[in-house]
Amino acid sequence: MSDQPTPVAETPPQVPMFSDMCSAWHRVAENWDRFNRVVTTDAKIAQTPKEQVWALNKAKLYRFIPTVPETERKRIPLLMVFAIMNRPHVLDLRPGHSFAEYMLQRGYDLYLLDWGAPGPEDKNLTFDDYTLEYLPRIVRKLKHVSGCSEFSMLGWCLGALISTMYAALRPDDGLKNLILLTAPLDFSDKSAGGFTRWSSHSAFNADTIVQKLGNVPGEMIDTGAKMLKPVENFFGSYMMLWDNIEKPGAVDAWHAMNTWVRDIIPMAGGAYQQLINDFYKENRLMEGTMALRGETVDLHKLRANLLNVIAEADHITPPCQSEGIMNVVGSEDKEVLRVRGGHIGIMAGRGAEKNTWPHIEGWLAARSD
Amino acid sequence: MTNPEEQFNPLDPTGILKSVRDANMDAWAKMMVNLVQSEAYAESTAAMLDAWLTSSGPFQKAVESSMSQTMAGLNLPTRDDMTRIAERLTNIEMRLDDIEAKLDESLQPPKPGDQGS
Repeated sequence: MSDQPTPVAETPPQVPMFSDMCSAWHRVAENWDRFNRVVTTDAKIAQTPKEQVWALNKAKLYRFIPTVPETERKRIPLLMVFAIMNRPHVLDLRPGHSFAEYMLQRGYDLYLLDWGAPGPEDKNLTFDDYTLEYLPRIVRKLKHVSGCSEFSMLGWCLGALISTMYAALRPDDGLKNLILLTAPLDFSDKSAGGFTRWSSHSAFNADTIVQKLGNVPGEMIDTGAKMLKPVENFFGSYMMLWDNIEKPGAVDAWHAMNTWVRDIIPMAGGAYQQLINDFYKENRLMEGTMALRGETVDLHKLRANLLNVIAEADHITPPCQSEGIMNVVGSEDKEVLRVRGGHIGIMAGRGAEKNTWPHIEGWLAARSD
Repeated sequence: MTNPEEQFNPLDPTGILKSVRDANMDAWAKMMVNLVQSEAYAESTAAMLDAWLTSSGPFQKAVESSMSQTMAGLNLPTRDDMTRIAERLTNIEMRLDDIEAKLDESLQPPKPGDQGS
């Protein structure tokens, strides 16, 4: 063996082969094709088996088929009430990432209310109708089907607003537990959030919109919501898809969420007028002057156990719009849960299964037997 | 910061676009949020919406009126007719729901302790 070091061959500078470049461009073309398909098609969502147990006009009440034996089920059923201007499928987005599926596996007798898409004949529907005409009928049917005189209710966004008013107006109807998710209730801070700023402006006239259009088109509401964070919603979301286009799990998640986002429905004109004039502009609920069918909504009368879930980065319902209720309600058992995330992300985002759902389930489980 | 040497990789043709985007997106997003939260934006949006609704109103009314006349001439129901029927159907549904509620109540087995009549 010689002592001389073995000469090391110099690594030539890496110049991509033409074939490598071709395959890279080919991959980009394939990714673009996948991107295009995902953006323009609908994923299968809301697949957890359920049966329709009640219907009135466009509203439907579904009962999810239980997945655990009756003996292991929670005694008190849970009713989920989503907003009136979106489909409720976000609560059952896709297998393996569905709040409905999660709660079924933990033994809940689970019901979902779908308000449906209002037609021209529904343009005069108001929160009075949703709260005091539809919801009491739904509760009656739920009690009949479940055989239980008590129930829990989970309201999200405007569904939380309706649930809150119902809970205050019908405190003896058997509502034991109330869970509010990103509930827009207190509009005293006129500088909080884009919606409040826009709708509180004197030039913004909800009456003219409803007079001319009847129901407020879903596209108008959707564009308004997206304009709150225009870059993220019109560009960022699609860029996130492009960045993850080669990860099937991420693409599936994006596809499911986009399918739900694209499925926009109009909002009943009467309810829109009320939302802007009575809630956003005049803050009647918190002022104690909100009346539905002549009955004043007194939040002190809300006595159900209350879990108020607030999204810290919510740009649609800023936290301050949900916080105020805690000092007003008559509930003795009440708790606030602050979750990192946005209006929808706290329940449908990647972290929901680890952060929000277990907390809600744990809170409810302790109060459902 | 992006290393200048990594700015263009022929094996990642979209890489340079991503670098540009990553460098500017946050600032752009913040600027736009500030813009849409401003008083000027709220005022101009409301004014534009109002102008659009006001200007399209007469045209919409004319179309609706001529459509109604055409449908009536053809002995076909107009939108208003269909709306009225749908409202009546909803009222009937509510009556049926009330009847169902009463039936459910009367068919319910008596609770323990209840005296049968």
